[in-house]
Amino acid sequence: MRKVWLNGTALVLSALFIFPVYWMVSTSFKSNSQVLTKEPVFFFTPTFEHYSTATGVELFWTYVTNSVVVTVGAVLLALAVALAASYAIARLEFKGRRGMVIAVMMAQMAPWEILIIVVYLNARDAEMLNSLLTLTLIYFVMSLPFTIWTLRGFIAAVPKELEESAMLDGCNRRQAFLRVIFPLLGPGLMATSLFGFIAAWNEYAMVLVLNKSPDAATLPLWLTQFQTNFGNDWGATMAASTLVTIPVLIVFLLLQRRATGGLSAGAVKG
Amino acid sequence: MTVHIEEAPAPPPPVKGSRGPGEGRRPPRRRVPSGLVPYLLLAPAVFALLAVLGYALARNVLISFQEFGRRQLISRTTEWTGLDNYKAVLENERFWDSLVRTFFFMAANVVLIMVLGTLLGLLLNALGKKMRLVLAISLVAAWAMPVIPSTTVFRWLFDTQFGLANWVMRTLGFSGYDQHNWFGSGMSTLAIVTLLIVWTSVPFVALNLYAGLTTVSGEIWEAARCDGASSQRIFWSILMPIMRPFFMITTFLEIIWVFKAFAQIYAMNAGGPDRQSETLPVMAYVEGMGQNQYGMAAAISVLTLVILLIAMSFYFRLILKQEKENS
Amino acid sequence: MKRKLIAAIGVATMAATVAACGSGDDGGGGGDSGAITVWLMDGSAPDAWLEELNAAFEEEHGVTVNVEIQQWDGIQDRVTTALSEDGTVDVLEIGNTQTVGYANTGGLADLGDLADEPWNEAMLESAQVDDTLYAVPWYGANRVVIYDRSIWEEAGAEVPTTRDEWITALETIQENTDAEPIYLPGQSYYVMGGFVADEGGSFAVEDGDGWAGALATPEAQAGMEFYAELQSFSSAPAEIDEAEPQQSTEVVPNGEVASWVGLGWEAAGAIAAIEEQGGEADLGYFPIPGKTPDQLGHVFLGGSNLAINERAGNPEMADEWLRMATSQEWAQKYVDANNGGVVPNRTDVTATPEEGSFAEAMVASADVGYLPPLTTGWANVETDPNPIKELMTKAINGQDYQSAAEEADAEITERINRE
Repeated sequence: MRKVWLNGTALVLSALFIFPVYWMVSTSFKSNSQVLTKEPVFFFTPTFEHYSTATGVELFWTYVTNSVVVTVGAVLLALAVALAASYAIARLEFKGRRGMVIAVMMAQMAPWEILIIVVYLNARDAEMLNSLLTLTLIYFVMSLPFTIWTLRGFIAAVPKELEESAMLDGCNRRQAFLRVIFPLLGPGLMATSLFGFIAAWNEYAMVLVLNKSPDAATLPLWLTQFQTNFGNDWGATMAASTLVTIPVLIVFLLLQRRATGGLSAGAVKG
Repeated sequence: MTVHIEEAPAPPPPVKGSRGPGEGRRPPRRRVPSGLVPYLLLAPAVFALLAVLGYALARNVLISFQEFGRRQLISRTTEWTGLDNYKAVLENERFWDSLVRTFFFMAANVVLIMVLGTLLGLLLNALGKKMRLVLAISLVAAWAMPVIPSTTVFRWLFDTQFGLANWVMRTLGFSGYDQHNWFGSGMSTLAIVTLLIVWTSVPFVALNLYAGLTTVSGEIWEAARCDGASSQRIFWSILMPIMRPFFMITTFLEIIWVFKAFAQIYAMNAGGPDRQSETLPVMAYVEGMGQNQYGMAAAISVLTLVILLIAMSFYFRLILKQEKENS
Repeated sequence: MKRKLIAAIGVATMAATVAACGSGDDGGGGGDSGAITVWLMDGSAPDAWLEELNAAFEEEHGVTVNVEIQQWDGIQDRVTTALSEDGTVDVLEIGNTQTVGYANTGGLADLGDLADEPWNEAMLESAQVDDTLYAVPWYGANRVVIYDRSIWEEAGAEVPTTRDEWITALETIQENTDAEPIYLPGQSYYVMGGFVADEGGSFAVEDGDGWAGALATPEAQAGMEFYAELQSFSSAPAEIDEAEPQQSTEVVPNGEVASWVGLGWEAAGAIAAIEEQGGEADLGYFPIPGKTPDQLGHVFLGGSNLAINERAGNPEMADEWLRMATSQEWAQKYVDANNGGVVPNRTDVTATPEEGSFAEAMVASADVGYLPPLTTGWANVETDPNPIKELMTKAINGQDYQSAAEEADAEITERINRE
C-alpha cells in the first residue's frame, strides 16, 4: 500500500516537473503556426524541419566542439582543484583554515551576473577575448566554491578511523585518500560535476560579450539566434534547446551509474 | 577495489602534483602534515579564485567610485566621482522598496524550495530503483533546461491570449479567464516567478539530499525501523542531525541564489507592472546595466553584497561553529 | 518579450545575440590589412546585393570582406563593447536612433568629406552631431496599415484617407463581420508617437541644457486618446507590445484580423505564415491616415546608418567599403534589390515600388516621418520597463492620464539625460 502511494506520488511529481520540458520538446516538433494558439495543440503531425534548421546553421559543429571543450575542461579542473582544497580543509589543520572557509563561502556569494562587465574589462585588457581558455577558466572558477564546499562535506563525512586504519596498513596519505576516501566520494563527485556541467553548459551572459568571434561561440549563443526581430522561430529555438538539454541528461545517467558503483564499492569496504 | 579506482571518474591529479615531497612516506600518525602541505593543496584554488574572481571584485569596487558609462568604456578613460553613485542609490526610494521586496520574495522561495526539495529527496530515497530513475530524470531535465526555453515556456503557459493556464481555467468552467492577465499585479507576477524558480531549484536540493542520504549507511535506517521509530522520528532525530551540514549549506546556497535571481524575474515582466515585482537585481539592471550606467550598477552590487553579508553573518557564525565541532 | 528575455538572460549585459552566421571568417581579429570586418543587422542586406558588392570590392582592392550578421536584440551592448576593442569590427550598421549616442562616446570615426554627398536630409539628421558626420544613412523604413482585402470587401469598408474615415471603416467591419477590425496591442509606442506628432507633440523636448519628458501635454494626451480609440477595436491586451506575441507571425495568421499596423518584413512574415497554413494571403496596404485628407499621419522613420569604428583595424579599407556601398550606383542597386521597399538614403536614388505593394504605401508617408529625440540618453528611455509603454497601458485601462503622464515624464527626464 505504501509502495503504491509512493509510486503514485512520484509519478504525479515526475509529470509536473517534466511538463515544461515536454512543452519545449513538443513545440520543437510543431509547425510554427501551432506554437501559440487559443486552443493548445496536443496532437499534431510532427515535423523535423526545426531540427534541420537548427543544426543546419553555419558553424554548428564549431559551437558543439567549443561547448564540449569548455564545459568538460571546466568541470575536470574544478574537480581536481577542489579535491585538493577540500581535502586540506576537511582533514588538515593549518593556520588560516577558518579564513579559507569564510573565503569559500564568500566566493559562493559572488554576483557573477553583475561582474560580467568587469570580467569583460579584465579579459579585454589582458587581451584574452575570443578565447576558449578564458571561458574555461571563468566557468571553472564559477563552480569552484560550490565544488569545494560539497566535496569538503563528503570528505569530512568519511570516518577518520577508516583512513587511519588504511595508513596503519602501510598506505601513505595519498594512497589512503585514493583507496579509502575517493571511492566514497561518488555521490559528491556526481553532484558537483553535474552542477558544474550544467552551469558551464548553459552559460550565456559571459560568452556573449567575451567571445564575439563566431569561431569562439558556444551553444547557448546558438540557441538565441532563432529569435530575431524578423519573427521568432520558436520551433527552431525549442529544437535547439532540446538538443542542448539532451547531453545533460546523458551526463547525468552516466554519472549516476558511476556514482552508485562508487557507493557500493565504498559500502563493501566500510 | 583496485579495479574500481582505475575506473573512477576524474582521478585527482592535483593531489598527486601538490603532494609535499616525501610527505606520504611519513609514518602514519594523526595530523602530522609538514606545515606546507595544506597550503600546497589549497594553492591552485586560492590562485584561481583570486585571479578571476578577486580581480573582478576589486575592479568592481573601483568602478563603483567612478562615472563609468558607455563613453568611459569605449574611450577607456577614468572619471572618479567619489561616493556619488552610492549616494544616488541610497537616496533612491526604489532601492529600499526593492530591498524589502527582495527579502520577502527570497524567504518565500527558499522555504518552498527547501521543504519541497527535502520531501522529494526523501521520496527519491524511499522509491524503488525504476521509479527513482523516472523521477530523477524528470528532476534533472527540469534542472538542465536552459533559461531561455524555460522562461519562454513559462511565459507561454501564462500568456494572456494564448496561455495554457487560461485555457485550463476556461475548460474547467471558470469565468473571467478569457483574457486573464496573470502579470497584472506585482503579487501575481512574483507568484509565477516563484513557481518557475522553485521548479528549477527543487531538483538541485532533492538530488543532493538524495546523494547525501545514500551515504547514510543502510544499517542506521534498519536499526531505527526495528526499534519501531516512526518515519517522522527517524527524520527529525536521525536524519536531521546527520544531514544538518547539508541543510545548512543548501539553505545558504539557495538564499544566495534566490537573492541574486534576475533572469527569471526580468524576463517575466521586467519588474512590472509599475515596478511592483522589482527586486534588487532587477533594479540594479534597470537603473544600471540596462542604461549603461556601469558605475552605478557596480555600486548597487557592492551594496547588495554588503547587505547580504550582514544578513548572513549569523549564518557564517553557525557554519564556523559547526566547523569547530567537526574538527 | 524577446527583447526582454534576451536582455534578461544576457543579464548584466552586454547582451546581444551572436552573429547568426559569420561568413566562415576568422572573426574580428586585429588589423589584418588583407581583410575588413563588417557588422550588418539581420535582414538588412539582400544576399545577392551583398555578394555582388563584396565581390566587386575584393576585386578592386584585393581585400576580403568578412560580413558578420548581428541581431537587433541587445545590439547596443554588443556594439558598445566592440567599439572599445581594437580591430573587432571595421564598418558597422547602427540603428538611426542610436547613432548619435555612439558618436558622443567617441567610438565612431569622423567621416569628413562624405558629408558632401546628396544624402536624404531627414536621415542625415540622425547621423550628425554638431555638423560633424559620424555615419552615413543607409536605408529608411516605416509602418503602414496592412489590411485583409477580402474582409474589408466583405464588410464594405473603404480605404480611409482621414482618421475619421479610418474609424468609420473599423466600425463597418465590426458591424458586418466577425473579424477583429484592427489588431493593436496596448504598447505599440512608435505608432502612438506618430499620433502625438500629428498634434505637434513629441516624446520629449529640449529643456535648457537637457531634455524633458513631454507626455503630460495636451498634444500627447490627444495622440494617446486617438490611439486608445483605435485600440478599443482590438481584442489585444493593453499590457503587451507588437513583438510578444509577434503580431505578424503569431497573431495575424491564427485569427481573423482585418487590419494591423506593421513594417515590411512583418507583412512578408505574415504572408509566409498564412501560406504555410494553407491559407491565401490577400493583403492590401495604405499609409496611416492623418487628420485631414491632405496630410498623411506621421510615422516613425526607422532605419539604419553605416559607420566606421574609431578603433577599426583597417580604417582606409573600411572607408573605401563604406563609400562604395553607399555610392549612387550601389545605393540604387540596393533599393532595387529590395524592390523599392526601402526609403532611399540619397536624393539621386529613386525607389519605384510596384503598385499596390507595401513599399508604395510606405514611401508615401516617408515625408511625414518623425524621429524620437536624437540624444545619447534616448536608448535609456526605451529600456524595459519603458515608461511610455507603461503609460499607454494605464491610459487604456482608464487611469487618470495627467497624473500617469507626469510620472512617466519624470522617469523619461531622468533617463534621457543620462549618457
